[in-house]
Amino acid sequence: MSDSLQDRIQQAIADPKNVGELPDADAVGTVGSPDCGDMLRMWIKFKDQDGRRVIDRATFQTFGCETAIAVASVATELISGKTADEALNLSGADLSAPLGALPPMKIHCAQLVEGALRSALAPTEAVPAPSAPIAPTLFDQLGIASEKQVKVVLHTNPQ
Amino acid sequence: MRDLLEISPGAQRALFRKYHIGGCASCGFRPDETLAEVCARNENLPVAEVIDYLHAAQEEDRRIQITPAELAQALEAGDARVVDVRTREEFEAARIDGAILLSQDLMQEILGRWDRSLLTIFVDHRGTRAMDAAAYFAGHGFTQTRALRGGIDAWSQDVDPSIPRYHLE
Repeated sequence: MSDSLQDRIQQAIADPKNVGELPDADAVGTVGSPDCGDMLRMWIKFKDQDGRRVIDRATFQTFGCETAIAVASVATELISGKTADEALNLSGADLSAPLGALPPMKIHCAQLVEGALRSALAPTEAVPAPSAPIAPTLFDQLGIASEKQVKVVLHTNPQ
Repeated sequence: MRDLLEISPGAQRALFRKYHIGGCASCGFRPDETLAEVCARNENLPVAEVIDYLHAAQEEDRRIQITPAELAQALEAGDARVVDVRTREEFEAARIDGAILLSQDLMQEILGRWDRSLLTIFVDHRGTRAMDAAAYFAGHGFTQTRALRGGIDAWSQDVDPSIPRYHLE
């Protein structure tokens, strides 16, 4: 990855825009499952502007890698002011364009964001990513998104 | 990939550290994919080179481990940060002084703001998940990530007996 791309990703995740739930959202789209840890969810609020219904604000929450966070951050800014159709015409490459061209190994991070956007704006369409169940990831192993309760039993005697 | 991970549990850590594969949903792989298929859709990585690298992965796993005694020295010198990857219940029952519990917010803070060259030690109960955490952050460019060998259980036995040992039910 080029230094400048890495710099832009760093800049985006150091101060990510539009993070968190949008309580009065008109549309919500999710890719992945929060139950298994990996997930990207996008909330979208519309407004009427000059006779058109355009996106007023979009926010996101993700349990993904730093590139997914960075793409979601710039994408939510990018789609503001666009109609649903205009936003749906944007590809993963378009949505991540403010960061610069992503290397092939990172393109699926942008596709994850595109999937969440399509899930929100065109929920009857198939969501492109992820395309099939994946094996547990390293992130899953961290258990950050898990709400599983455990009972801790302290040892009273050395064992 | 399922068979590969059964034979070599450290392979996933190794794949993410070097090739950014298998870390999260964006770069995950399916259990029924072959290594060759995963390589093909990741910039056509040379399969033979990846296999050679995975053979060396066990040594790499050993390299990212730190013993309780070494961690105690690093903490005394004040040049280590300790991140705990266990559940909140475990963290509240037994923890290393100064350790912070990993959360989604902390994850974004680490990725966004932390110096990637400073020594960062990941701690779990017995040392397995901490290896995954160290590999996850190493794959994001953190050059000095380590996992506490044997986890807080070993810390309790080797360094600080006042930390209670426990098991989960």
